[in-house]
Amino acid sequence: MNETITNLWSIPLLIVIPILTAIVVNLLYNRGRAIRAVSIASAAVLLVISLVSPYGFQWFTGQPGVTYDGTYTFNANVFSWKLSLEYYYGPLQQIMISVMSFLLLFVVAISTKSLKKNFGPYIALMFLTYLSAAAIMMVNDFYHLWIAVEIGSLLVAGLVAASGGGAAQKAALKYTFFSALSGSGLAIALALILGITGYANITDAINSLKINDLSGMYNVLYVSFAFLMLSWIYAGGLAPIHPLKSDVYRSAYPHATVMLQTQSKLTLVAIGLVLLRMFGTLPFAREAMLSISILTMVIGIVMALIQTDFRWILAYLIVSHSGLVTVGISLGTFRGIVGGLFQAVNDVIYMSLLLVCCEMVLYFGRGTSIKFSGGLAKRAPLLTVFVILGTLAASGVPPFNGFQSELILIQAALEQGLPEVAAVILMVSVSTFIALFRAIYSIFLRPGDELQQGSERFKLPGTTLIFLVALVAITLVLGIYPQLALNFLTESALKVVFVPWVP
Amino acid sequence: MGSIDSLYDKIKRHVVAYFTGNGYTDASTGYSAGELQAVVFIMVLAAMFRIFMIPLGIVLILGAAIMVLHFAPVIRVIERENSSDLNRVLFWVFVYFSVIVAVTLWGR
Repeated sequence: MNETITNLWSIPLLIVIPILTAIVVNLLYNRGRAIRAVSIASAAVLLVISLVSPYGFQWFTGQPGVTYDGTYTFNANVFSWKLSLEYYYGPLQQIMISVMSFLLLFVVAISTKSLKKNFGPYIALMFLTYLSAAAIMMVNDFYHLWIAVEIGSLLVAGLVAASGGGAAQKAALKYTFFSALSGSGLAIALALILGITGYANITDAINSLKINDLSGMYNVLYVSFAFLMLSWIYAGGLAPIHPLKSDVYRSAYPHATVMLQTQSKLTLVAIGLVLLRMFGTLPFAREAMLSISILTMVIGIVMALIQTDFRWILAYLIVSHSGLVTVGISLGTFRGIVGGLFQAVNDVIYMSLLLVCCEMVLYFGRGTSIKFSGGLAKRAPLLTVFVILGTLAASGVPPFNGFQSELILIQAALEQGLPEVAAVILMVSVSTFIALFRAIYSIFLRPGDELQQGSERFKLPGTTLIFLVALVAITLVLGIYPQLALNFLTESALKVVFVPWVP
Repeated sequence: MGSIDSLYDKIKRHVVAYFTGNGYTDASTGYSAGELQAVVFIMVLAAMFRIFMIPLGIVLILGAAIMVLHFAPVIRVIERENSSDLNRVLFWVFVYFSVIVAVTLWGR
């Protein structure tokens, strides 16, 4: 765990392996077994790399940092202006990318089984989505951040468009339309920051802001903050972009939405932390972030309550819980950031559990509309148990993981003297339960004449069953022993609060 | 008695107005729960402005209460404004972006 490493082997592998896999599965195109073998092996390798990798930097292009006295260094612990493009792999990146790799492994296993033909390009898009999220998490310079966000938004659109019908393609097109706005916003933010500080590297830009007198240039800095925030809102699906993002979530296959929502959460965390590190001390910067976060939570949950389809409910809940993640980060305190990061980890896990349950409802040939279905509990009792456990985790009921992170968020809000924010978080938890249980009652528990006629029980596929059991186990383990995840998150939160120039 | 009937009629009209969804009973429960949540959220968010000035918070709570009663059921407005039509999303993006720029510049 030596942080002076500046050519860490794992970082290029986490970038290159998804690209190579995408090329190979594209070439295999329709050879189902080969695609399945390659993609599962690749995802497993990515999981192992993310778990065993030490921490450190990768200075791409091999350029050294320039010290104060004009000499060169490859030592990350020595202060230097880094001309190279910089990636960092630390505890935060490790837990986030490991969780994403774990989800990718099962998602490709499920999708290669459930899809019938021509799914090489689809699996390729899945791996590239993983790549974009991993890059956004690790990057410490604005150039790469911009590129990764741009690629990520196009891949989201691609994955949704590849998921099927006209509605999916319409949602993808709308989302792509706004990517032009957001990508340009991030490019303008990058240009303004580069113009003020002279550095694209985030650490160097922060140091430059601290060292140099910026009198007369603050207005430019505020505008760059606003543009970077626009990009954060778009990439993470916060208000007012949430209608497009929820369209994206509900239009894709539920297993694809597992990857899409994970990418969104990781992007929210990564850009949110950059915003805090770079602009956290500006007046009203955190307040602006907090306002957007609260609005996203509120609008997302209210919209979830009025939906009449399980997929739509989940789509809006994912949006609403994105607000929970960003509320913690926006508070800007140590506890708030830890709560936000922990919420991101928990959120992707319990939402994945619910999305896979939703996929199974479709797999059993049942619709996800809560108006015309019912009685599934009798035919699929195990699935009913999983969906109820997922609902309890998402609603913040102990001993599941959602409880721990929401408790930290509430404590952080109260510490900041914001009981209203704590009240909103509590109400979101309760409303999550109401929204989900409406759907569960209608689809699973309500007597359904048509289904009661058959006595045959639906059987969960083996891979899906293992995935669901693993997800429930993780929600329980993190709920009972949260320190397991918090150990990875506290260091990053401390750095953001006390030494923001350190990635 | 007349006033009681009138109040009853008002409440009935108010409750019936929730039945705007595409579905049946499930939709209406969702809409009524959503309406209540939205009203409480609006009041809580108005109360947050006490951070800047306590009288401002009080005035905004009263203003929010009057607006909510006047425009009830607000869930229909929220639903309409949250459609994924490009023009509507674009409008709100510009509104949000303008507010962010204005507030941060003003905060300086």
